[in-house]
Amino acid sequence: MIDFELTEEQRQFQSLARQFAREVIKPVAAEHDREESYPEAVVRRGHELGLLNTIVPESVGGLGLGSLDEAIIGEELGYGCMGIYTIFMASELGITPLLLAGSPEQQERFLAPLLSGPKLAAFALSEPDNGSDAGAMKTRAVFDGDDVVLNGTKMWISNGDRAEFTVVFATFDPAQRHRGTLAVVVEKGRQGFSARKLHGKLGQRASPTAELVFENVRVPRANVLGEPGDGFAIAMRTLDRTRIPVAAGSVGVARRALDEALGYASQRHAFGKPIAQFQAIQFKLAEMKIGIETARWQTYHAAWLADRGEPHGEAAAIAKAYASDMAFRSADEALNVHGGYGYVNEYPVEKLMRDVKLNQIYEGTNEIQRLVIARGLLKRLLE
Amino acid sequence: MEDSVKILTILKQVPDAEARVRAQDGAVDLDGVTFVIDGMDEYGVEEALRLREGGSAAASVEEVVAVALGPQRFEEALRTALAMGADRAVHVETDAALDPVAQAQVLAAVAREEGADLILVGGKQADWDSAALGAAVAESLGWPLSDWTTELTVEGDGLRTRHDTDDGSEALELPLPAVVTTQQGLNEPRYPTLPNIMKAKRKELAKRTLEEFGAPAAKTVTVRQEIQTRERLGKLVDGEPEEAARELARLLADEAKVLS
Repeated sequence: MIDFELTEEQRQFQSLARQFAREVIKPVAAEHDREESYPEAVVRRGHELGLLNTIVPESVGGLGLGSLDEAIIGEELGYGCMGIYTIFMASELGITPLLLAGSPEQQERFLAPLLSGPKLAAFALSEPDNGSDAGAMKTRAVFDGDDVVLNGTKMWISNGDRAEFTVVFATFDPAQRHRGTLAVVVEKGRQGFSARKLHGKLGQRASPTAELVFENVRVPRANVLGEPGDGFAIAMRTLDRTRIPVAAGSVGVARRALDEALGYASQRHAFGKPIAQFQAIQFKLAEMKIGIETARWQTYHAAWLADRGEPHGEAAAIAKAYASDMAFRSADEALNVHGGYGYVNEYPVEKLMRDVKLNQIYEGTNEIQRLVIARGLLKRLLE
Repeated sequence: MEDSVKILTILKQVPDAEARVRAQDGAVDLDGVTFVIDGMDEYGVEEALRLREGGSAAASVEEVVAVALGPQRFEEALRTALAMGADRAVHVETDAALDPVAQAQVLAAVAREEGADLILVGGKQADWDSAALGAAVAESLGWPLSDWTTELTVEGDGLRTRHDTDDGSEALELPLPAVVTTQQGLNEPRYPTLPNIMKAKRKELAKRTLEEFGAPAAKTVTVRQEIQTRERLGKLVDGEPEEAARELARLLADEAKVLS
């Protein structure tokens, strides 16, 4: 059974998201990038329209959107501005562990309040000294009566300085490596918890990224998701799913790059004709189109598997690595099409390139994606 | 005296304003074109919703019904109206090419069947830039018309409107039932929110046939279609601002001959 058609409802999601990207995101994207400022009005409007925290389940009053719905919307928001989309995306990333491992009581307690305003969630796995090697995390969790006490530092946490709650991964037994980790929800305002916004990012500068410090932060044991020991598995299952929107956003960036390149190439003249009439330019445009179409279908495929509850880790890894690499190349080629104008911030293409660089890095570097894919290939052979 | 008002809002699904449309073999080729709800009609949907949300105390809106007459793709415009907040939709589905007068006969029949008190429709239809539909519907029903309307309130059993004329505007009073054609300036149409898109799925969208409304034949037949196209010069003036401005002024004077 293969059906490539979006539902009527999905087409409407798409057209709403497209309109939002065009009318609300695009006009302010350059300014927030330049000023490294948080697009508060955009997030507020996104919340009013229901575009924020879309995967919160219906059981607690949310929309309960699926992975494919999210990908369709994500592509449009990424088209408008990848940095701004990351705010939306990272909130869904913070929600996902609760969908996968939260009890109904935890979902009600943490997710329902998110719906009442333009509120964000966050996900904290990376640390100053480890990223890809998540099993080496140093943030410590110590059980003390009915509480868990946290100490340590988390790094590169999107929305970390603004989130209502952050899902924090910590080790309660470093000797057990992965199996000694847990996932715990830390609410904003807990004593000993502080967040410092990081500055100087190359791109996605509208998206706030923070360093989180935990100094004897005490949270009830009832905030632990699943069982102690499940932490690493929850983190990996979360990323298997949330790499799909990263891929979708990348497709959006690539589509934007192509549109900008098309627009410029048909206006700019050289040797007496629009440069779009030269094969050297046409090949670049065609290459972008090839990448966009293939990346989108791989992204949809991964989302479709996720929505059916089937294994999707490999498909998501392929989508994420392929789409973000492709989008970076597309932005690069769009810049080439623009020549000198592409190199200045009067035109939007240099920002596309700076922004989408991060898509190759976050939620598992593209090297890690390739490891995931290769492990799947070699699993049986090397056992 | 009407206690509550039933509003019909008439919609079309038309090519996106940014779409590039071509004519081929004497007919417009719509292959690959993106369609959207006609922006002029969208003001009507928004106005109906605002009236229902309690503009004036005298108007209690019983129901907002979105109506479309046209091919299958018009359904999407109806879905958009439902997602914006219309209560239900009626789609008279046909591929027949009907001129505005013939369309008006069908839409008038729908209005009679529905017992509508107020019909809102775009001041002009973006597909062929005809501004005839609203007037033809009013004529068909023998109802008063306020065209090119920029302000609308329901007062008692009538309407007060302001509408544009060639030289300015006029304030009008007209009794219900009536037809109002809408345009830019009347309001700012809302986005259909995600939750409302999802709720719209459960709303009624009735499919009807042209035959049920007497299947009027087109009174005019379109023999050939052409699209006026004028290529832009696409000339970019590069260089230092002062220099570029001088060059631009020279081009406007010498080549375009719009400056002397």
